[in-house]
Amino acid sequence: MKKEVTCENVCMAAMARADSAQTAALPPAEIEAHLARCAHCRREMAQLEAVSTLLDAQERSLHSENLWAEIENRLPAPAVAREKLPVSHPLILLGLSLVAYRLVELFPDRSPGWWFKLVPLLLAVAAFVYLRENPFKINAELRLEGE
Amino acid sequence: MDDPAAIQNSRAGDREAFRHLVERYQREAVGHAVAILGNREDALDAVQEAFIDAFQALDRFDLSRRFYPWFYTILRNCCYKLAASRKKRETSSIDKLEILAPAPGVTSEEMLLLERALLELSPQERELLTLKHLDGLSYEELAERLDVPQGTVMSRLYHARKHLR
Repeated sequence: MKKEVTCENVCMAAMARADSAQTAALPPAEIEAHLARCAHCRREMAQLEAVSTLLDAQERSLHSENLWAEIENRLPAPAVAREKLPVSHPLILLGLSLVAYRLVELFPDRSPGWWFKLVPLLLAVAAFVYLRENPFKINAELRLEGE
Repeated sequence: MDDPAAIQNSRAGDREAFRHLVERYQREAVGHAVAILGNREDALDAVQEAFIDAFQALDRFDLSRRFYPWFYTILRNCCYKLAASRKKRETSSIDKLEILAPAPGVTSEEMLLLERALLELSPQERELLTLKHLDGLSYEELAERLDVPQGTVMSRLYHARKHLR
């Protein structure tokens, strides 16, 4: 959408241009044309550029306090990182569930009922939902060179 | 000790490693906090608070990124929280420079006038102007640091300069 050419938009875009910013503001020709015919904006720009030049010439005050002693006194005791069991990984859990299903299936006389047949389907749905989250952070945008 | 090593050791509870991070960045952090809060005492409180929060959040830090921009987000949150709980100071009573360093060729009265003018601005405007002019951050870097679009940086900078004029 094209930006409206108002005095404020022109000054804003002109200052961004003076700051060498790569922002999508107004085209340079429109800025120049407006500044050429608007004395108010020329005055405004001169003042804003003076502020900018004044600030550019300044430096931050240096503060040399060492805060470590106070910070160290307030640091919480280190939390012991809980080691995650590898068995808690969703894919391992799915694999173990399939093995358990297969083992139960080996004994048809002990079959728990019709709903048991749905277990592989439910596990497949769970695997699909999990893989949709892109757990291995695979970048689908990557392309081989020359592709 | 480099930053990733210091962070990894700090995560394991090594306070000496965290000390490296504090001592490496505290000066820069105090400068930034003073610019937002407008005074040294509050800035020191905010920086302490920010380092403690950072220590507790180190597990969430992505080691492929630089430490200070991440820490800066925590620092500015602490600063704005503190700023909200403090009353605005009377700027005419300010008699020494805390944000700006004395510059050659500029009288101390002129420097004080500029410092007071900066203190009349909102913390957000002061933060933006000092990051732009004292640290020399580009619009792109400002947008990333403040988590706003570049168009917003442009508009806020324009209004901040206009208020300072």
